[in-house]
Amino acid sequence: MGKRRPVSYYLLSLFFAAFLLFLYGPMICVYLLSFQGPEGGMSFPMRGFSTVWFETLFKPGGRGVGDIHNSFFRSMRMAAIVAVLTMLIGVAAGMSFRRRYPGANFVFYSAITSMVVPGILVGFGISLALNVLGLRPDWWYSGIGAQLTWSLPFALLIMFIIMGRFDRSYEEAATDLGATSRQRFQYVILPLILPGIIGIMMAGFTSSYEEAARGALNIGTGNTMPMELTALLGAATTPVMFAIGTLTTLFMFVTVIGTLLITMSLARRRQLRLVAQPA
Amino acid sequence: MAVGVSPRTASWLQATPFALIMTALVIVPLGIIVVVSFMDYGFAEIIPEFFIGNWTDIFKSTLTLDLYETVLRHIVIVWAITLVLGFTVAYYLLFHVRSNFWRAIFLTACVVPFWTSGVVRSVSWVPLLGREGLVNQALMGMGFIQQPISWLLYSEFSVLLVYVNMLTLAMLGPIANSMAKISPSVIQAARDQGATEWQTIVEVIIPLIKPGIVVGTIFVVTAVMGDGFIVKSMSGNQVNTPAGAIMNEINALQYPPAAAKSVLMLVIVLLFVGTLLRFVDIRKELAR
Amino acid sequence: MKIDVDFNSKKVAADTDGPAASPEAAMKYDVEMVSVSKVYDGGAKAVDEISLRIPKASYCCLLGPSGCGKTTTLRMMAGHETVSDGDILIHNRNITDAPPAERGTSMMFQSYALFPHLSALDNVAFSLKLKGVKKAERHAQAMEYLTLVQMEALAHRMPGQLSGGQQQRVALARSLITRPKVLLLDEPLSALDPFLRVMMRTELKRIQTELGITFVHVTHSQEEALALSDVMVVMNGGKIMQAGTAREVFETPGNSFVAKFIGGHNVIERDGKTFSIRADKCRLIESAGGQQMVATVTTVEYQGSQVRINLRSDSGQDLTTLLSDTRYFDDPPKRGERVIMSWLAEDEWPLAAA
Repeated sequence: MGKRRPVSYYLLSLFFAAFLLFLYGPMICVYLLSFQGPEGGMSFPMRGFSTVWFETLFKPGGRGVGDIHNSFFRSMRMAAIVAVLTMLIGVAAGMSFRRRYPGANFVFYSAITSMVVPGILVGFGISLALNVLGLRPDWWYSGIGAQLTWSLPFALLIMFIIMGRFDRSYEEAATDLGATSRQRFQYVILPLILPGIIGIMMAGFTSSYEEAARGALNIGTGNTMPMELTALLGAATTPVMFAIGTLTTLFMFVTVIGTLLITMSLARRRQLRLVAQPA
Repeated sequence: MAVGVSPRTASWLQATPFALIMTALVIVPLGIIVVVSFMDYGFAEIIPEFFIGNWTDIFKSTLTLDLYETVLRHIVIVWAITLVLGFTVAYYLLFHVRSNFWRAIFLTACVVPFWTSGVVRSVSWVPLLGREGLVNQALMGMGFIQQPISWLLYSEFSVLLVYVNMLTLAMLGPIANSMAKISPSVIQAARDQGATEWQTIVEVIIPLIKPGIVVGTIFVVTAVMGDGFIVKSMSGNQVNTPAGAIMNEINALQYPPAAAKSVLMLVIVLLFVGTLLRFVDIRKELAR
Repeated sequence: MKIDVDFNSKKVAADTDGPAASPEAAMKYDVEMVSVSKVYDGGAKAVDEISLRIPKASYCCLLGPSGCGKTTTLRMMAGHETVSDGDILIHNRNITDAPPAERGTSMMFQSYALFPHLSALDNVAFSLKLKGVKKAERHAQAMEYLTLVQMEALAHRMPGQLSGGQQQRVALARSLITRPKVLLLDEPLSALDPFLRVMMRTELKRIQTELGITFVHVTHSQEEALALSDVMVVMNGGKIMQAGTAREVFETPGNSFVAKFIGGHNVIERDGKTFSIRADKCRLIESAGGQQMVATVTTVEYQGSQVRINLRSDSGQDLTTLLSDTRYFDDPPKRGERVIMSWLAEDEWPLAAA
């Protein structure tokens, strides 16, 4: 409209600032408290300023650290596998919806069901199923499987959004010029949906890393990060907990920003822009 | 994408892995829960005989009613607050922020807190809300109170606060998505016709974002209904909900009664979502 | 009544100081723009100090190529775009900073912008609902306007159930119910197919005449502008190239841009001077008195009652001549044929450089 801003703009900006404060409040406490000195406790006021708790984290046998290093490794491993599987299976499923076929509704509604059903119920069901079959849960099949029940529907959702914006005339032009369906996919479709695919991998990775409810019963021996942290929480007496929080945030931050930068440079290099339609 | 395969078969093949996983890991397990709910149990073991006792326990006990009453109260409060918060922030971001760059930055800023592990975030409330926490110290410092408030933490208040903190984004996202689909010329037409900002919101924007509100509602309601972890940890085990009760029984290895309670929750959730989905066409909502 | 239109492309002090001399003079113009500019951040000038006066109850078309500033000008009149410099007056009231709803204007958007969740009737009644008019009353008034645009039978349909032409009529009714002094139309006919376009164009003119208010209609179609305008304003690069009646613009173009844009003219340079000659005043005959040029036929386009012949002169210039079909079929020139295009000197019109 014009350069003048109505009063509502200023009120809403204030509201938004307050909202951000509300969102970030707890996290900021964590970051601040992780830098306490050796006398630091679990609450304010801050006692001292040092990186001693970060060091404790990396010293073998540090107090309050538990099995965090192995848990981190296990979580990373699972998250990476879940990310790749989610991408492969989710993208394929998303592509299938470009035509009608028998069973399409089943795929769609089972995905919705999986998303809305509480995680603990799915986790419970899977562990019961294993019980009935006489199998013991292990991370590489039941653990990953349980996490996929959450990440796959999300991938499908993202695929719907992407395919909804996808202009089929690009494909038709390619066919017209003699492309086979494999070439169409490789040279036209894939480059255009690549940002979305990377998004799906990110979503799979982060959701797996954070996931607690579905996997809890099905990971088998050896905790994942969320499980290990929950255990430590019970015995939480030192700010090492906070140090862990600061580092995991940093880790996620770097991963996500890194992925974004790679995506953007890819897009720029291929000079791709999904065109936003003017109203 | 295989050569020489009809398009319909190709679709079918592409969707098969997905369908298989959904069947094996969602449909079948849920079915097994239903079956187990009708079984007898002993100490840490399931006795595979037909047993209606779990179900009669549920319907005879007043505990069930109490638990659902509690969670319903939570759901309504959290839904109302996240709706107002989510709507207001989404409205600000989509209709007041003009620069695309800043809008993207602000939206990202809303998401970043969720990159901190959920478990760590639940610890972080202690230094904020505890007796020696920031909030209490600030309030005492400003002279509003003499003694630290104890109900900020380990109470129903803290449970709801954490829910709102976690779930506002789940409401904000779908609403923002719906808002983005409103053609700017429709808003201009409303202004042209003489609508004030408030009238534009009530007469034009809200009717047009109903699908987004429905999707957000589904996310928030199912999240609160299905949560056992936050409600136990943030209330210091004082408040109990159906999900909490289920978790307790699972931990105590009493699977059949847990299964029965699970089936009840499942039915309620699916009925609720099914009803709401009649009001919104999901596929149209996702397309642009 | 002779239409009197002022046209001034420079800042004019006289127009901006003091009220009009007499009440009669004051109400002579529905819209006045005084040295109006629109500058975007970064210095891009979408509209460059334009001044314009539109007489009472006239149909005014803003015509020009994409990016010439015509839509920006319209939106500044509407209040949907702020004015960087200059003033806009409607019925002699300075509304440059007034919000859209307080200007006495109403806008018809290119995409119609009907409220998707309201029926046609509720769309038209919308402005009344905002003012608190009761349902029965506002529905009755809305029906009146729907009848004016011949949409009363479809009053209860939703916009999604209406065709483009029907949506447009509802949008028109919705704009008119606010009883604007000036109706602003942003390329209203562009989205319609050619047959509907001609039909709707007649409708628009009819309604404008009946209601006796000014319409300002943005278009990039010369044919549309010629058919509808009492006042035609040709724009390019943010400036007004020429403003006048349709006949004035066509017969006496102000500069070579206008001559080329309006179509049907050849623009020729000779001895350092530029002039235009209408294509239909050019004939193809072997020998004659008067002016002439040697050229080769490049394409022949049959257009029904006329045939358009495109030529390229020996000096490399593209020329056009329009022949009546009888004259064409008498002696049809072929592609590649060398011909002489001739015209009478008195039909030449001298041009200023654009």
